Amino acid sequence: MPDRKDRNMRVGGPLDRFAPIGLLVGAVLAAVGLVYAFTVTPLVNGASVDGVEVINGVAVSNMLLLSQKIFYWHMPVALVSFIGIAFAAFFAVRFLMTKDARYDLRSKLAMEVGLVFVLCTMVTGLLWTRFEWGVWWTWEPRLTTYFILMLLVFGYFILRNAIADPERRAAYSSVLGILILVDVPICFMVTRLIPSSIHPVVFRSDSGMSMDMVVPLLLSVVGFGLIAVGLYRLRLRAQLIEERVNAVQEALED
Amino acid sequence: MNPVLAEIYSTIIPSAPYVLGAYVLVFIVLFVYVFFTVSKLKSAEKKMDALEERVEELLK
Repeated sequence: MPDRKDRNMRVGGPLDRFAPIGLLVGAVLAAVGLVYAFTVTPLVNGASVDGVEVINGVAVSNMLLLSQKIFYWHMPVALVSFIGIAFAAFFAVRFLMTKDARYDLRSKLAMEVGLVFVLCTMVTGLLWTRFEWGVWWTWEPRLTTYFILMLLVFGYFILRNAIADPERRAAYSSVLGILILVDVPICFMVTRLIPSSIHPVVFRSDSGMSMDMVVPLLLSVVGFGLIAVGLYRLRLRAQLIEERVNAVQEALED
Repeated sequence: MNPVLAEIYSTIIPSAPYVLGAYVLVFIVLFVYVFFTVSKLKSAEKKMDALEERVEELLK
């Protein structure tokens, strides 16, 4: 009977059967969130205009912004990137505690999924910034801290590729993975410490977000979360099968 | 369209390519990674199948 640790490390169990379904359900939820955001959620107000018009029974005296719709995927992918990096750091801590290479593998794969979502966050953010502010980049607090986060994640993979010895690679990567996690709460909290017009504080009781805005946001957060979990499990399964194949091939050759 | 309405909706069309681009790029990034992941999985499973055949032959 496999012990508790082995059961958690296994492939082929319920989590692996769930992975493709989770991926599909996540994609559907994110798509539903997108459709909801464009069909139900009203446009938000921008700069004021000279005059008032009644639109759908509501007096409007501001520009209506379509560009804000980017938010309904931009924020969820950013949140999921933080979660991916957090899991990578968790597995890194587990590796340093146990020296079990299986945790190093899980840490690397979680960081990989985190990097994918970091890239999604950057592309959506860049396009939003470009339209709103006319520039592709500005050294605003959250953008700067997130850029540092992205560079650290790139550095993580560069470090892994630079070290041939598996134990040293795992140890150094684990330490860096934990250090990368330090930037996550900084990214998250920086807009509370240094107010910014580009990144207003969203998670607060008086955020001004109506239910019509919260619903697509939550759908997208859950959707992308499921996509991330599904991708992680599929990558893990592939990697573990590959390792088993290599181990058996070596044994056969001996 | 009256000038006030025109001003209210003035940013809609100019922003549309950026909004569309953002969603398309997210889709592309995720699709590329899904494709990469599934390819790796299929390749690993093929290697496993080939190995199982080889082991069966050795046992015969």
